[in-house]
Amino acid sequence: MRGLAIVLGLGLWVGALAAPVDLKINLRVGEAPLEWGRIYQTPKGQRYRVDLLKFYLSELALVRPDGREVRVGGLALAEFRRGGPTQGVSVMRFEVPSGEYRGLRFDVGVPRELNHQDAATQEFPLGVNSGMYWAWNPGYIFYRLEGAAFLEGREEKWVIHMGTDAFRIPVRLHDLQMRRVRLEVPPRGTSFVLNLDIARAFLPGPNGAFLDWRQPRLRQLHGMSPETALVMSVVYYQMLNAFSLAR
Amino acid sequence: MHAGRWLLWVVPLVLLGLERPAPPSHAPAPDPRALRAARAVPIPPDNPQTPAKVELGRRLFYDPRLSLDGRVACASCHRPEFAFSDGGKPVSVGVFGRKGSRNAPTLTNVAFRRRLFWEGRSPRLELQAVGPLTAHHEMAMEPEALAQRLSSIPEYARAFQEVFGEPPTLKNVAFALAAFERTLLSYDSPFDRFVAGDDSALSPAARRGMELFFSERGDCFHCHVGPEFTDDEPRNTGLYTVYPDVGLARITGKDEDVGKFKTPTLRNVALTAPYMHDGSRKTLREVVEHYNRGGEPNLNADPLIRPLGLSEREVDDLVAFLESLTDTRFIANPALLPPR
Ligand code: HEC
Ligand code: HEC
Repeated sequence: MRGLAIVLGLGLWVGALAAPVDLKINLRVGEAPLEWGRIYQTPKGQRYRVDLLKFYLSELALVRPDGREVRVGGLALAEFRRGGPTQGVSVMRFEVPSGEYRGLRFDVGVPRELNHQDAATQEFPLGVNSGMYWAWNPGYIFYRLEGAAFLEGREEKWVIHMGTDAFRIPVRLHDLQMRRVRLEVPPRGTSFVLNLDIARAFLPGPNGAFLDWRQPRLRQLHGMSPETALVMSVVYYQMLNAFSLAR
Repeated sequence: MHAGRWLLWVVPLVLLGLERPAPPSHAPAPDPRALRAARAVPIPPDNPQTPAKVELGRRLFYDPRLSLDGRVACASCHRPEFAFSDGGKPVSVGVFGRKGSRNAPTLTNVAFRRRLFWEGRSPRLELQAVGPLTAHHEMAMEPEALAQRLSSIPEYARAFQEVFGEPPTLKNVAFALAAFERTLLSYDSPFDRFVAGDDSALSPAARRGMELFFSERGDCFHCHVGPEFTDDEPRNTGLYTVYPDVGLARITGKDEDVGKFKTPTLRNVALTAPYMHDGSRKTLREVVEHYNRGGEPNLNADPLIRPLGLSEREVDDLVAFLESLTDTRFIANPALLPPR
């Protein structure tokens, strides 16, 4: 896939039993596959379209049945744009010892120690050519979702640019309590498929606040800005549960 | 008794904000004659200046094809005749007529800025340029689209190959622009000539204004520091009690940073109206009157912002001094104007 880059290395488990794993993503709106160009509705009845999604994925680890982890680390940039594939898109390849796992975890975002280096000297998937660099705000955009809203006949562009260290999204898809999650990595390798429900971002928060595109300032959601902080934290909160293991 | 007397000193110092480790800006007023401007331009080792790169940067700076609708160049908002600011517009207009919320600053001597943008959170020109090139309300280009568009223009494809040994990318566009921007140097104002020893360069009013500017009474020099007239630090000047644009807080999310904007340079300031981050002050006199009144009540206002008690004539004198910072040769320098 174009624009997919993988930097592996940190704590890579290079054992004799290392098996290749392909991490794939399905974009969903609720339960259904995302269709480019299709007009959807938020729970608050606002009509929208999605044009672009890019995000960083890092600090990947698999969780073993005893609770210990196999750290993969790495940093990948996942890219989805109008016209391109949305289902089963490979975003990262790595190797882990074959065997049974109770799930995985990763962060959506760039690790802090990479997030504040001079972006002019960084290589892809960091650096400015990634399209994930704010320029006015130090660090990278971690999760970049863009589209258009249809408001009384008008089409208005909106963006969600989530980033800054405080907004790294921890995704935890493991279960040691109930043992409902079981991932098998056979010696010849496998792929893990995740669903990402992009529409989570539009759900109202526990406080009732929601992304209301009728308000022009909420069409440009960036970083920590206090004017939009409440809604950004709602989006963040909802994103914590936006990923799930596809069955 | 000792403690009591000690407190008597400390309390007013704290109120004046002097409890902080004294930044260089709290140094005593300098002798303006010591403010010789021309210095070596700092060039980052990873982006050496070459004539071909500067020339490429100049072409890019004036070329609207760098924008999504093909109508907006860097120079649309940074116009040479206004010392590379936006000529009378309070806020700039980008692609498809989209409006920003801020006043385009001058690029005079921008090579010396340690921090860029109104909050000052961009560390170098090579990174700053990515902002306008990609911002929704400015030029709105995706990196891939920009690279493709420029690669399809043979002169650019050739020039990038020659300068960078590779096809155009967002990154090397920004590097070339930065190289050109580092040539936007201006040191030939009446004030510079005065500093160089020409006593007749400043009118008597401008000279009185200069004395005030560099005095504890006028107190301008504490923030508009040195030959570049800026400390590059974010400060709240009490422009509003409630700032519609939160400034630095947009980045830090902190209440104490609301209304903080980077001190702008004052070189060529007479050419860059309207003023302040939002272009809300139309004339230099309005700006000086703002300082003289001590600004609006604001918890974050810098302690230096307080009623100054200047007379009408002193306000005029300060304006005359600010007007003496204009370098007319700079804005007519053919090397900085659009290439033929
Ligand atoms: C649509 C108008 C517009 C366009 C086009 C534009 N700028 Fe700007 N520029 C601005 C505004 C407004 C600011 C202040 C923005 C802020 O600080 O939030 C600014 C700030 C800057 C600064 C920071 C100066 C300082 O002292 O902090 C530099 C440097 C700059 N622009 C260079 C460029 C370059 C190079 C381009 C072309 C790639 C460009 N600009 C295109 C409006 C524009
Ligand atoms: C506390 C630091 C501070 C002091 C003291 C100060 N300034 Fe400023 N000055 C600033 C900042 C910060 C801005 C931008 C504020 C904004 O846009 O909200 C500014 C803006 C200006 C501008 C507008 C420039 C432009 O391009 O928009 C002028 C002119 C100016 N100051 C002149 C003066 C004069 C004259 C004095 C002395 C009477 C003075 N300043 C004292 C920090 C200071």
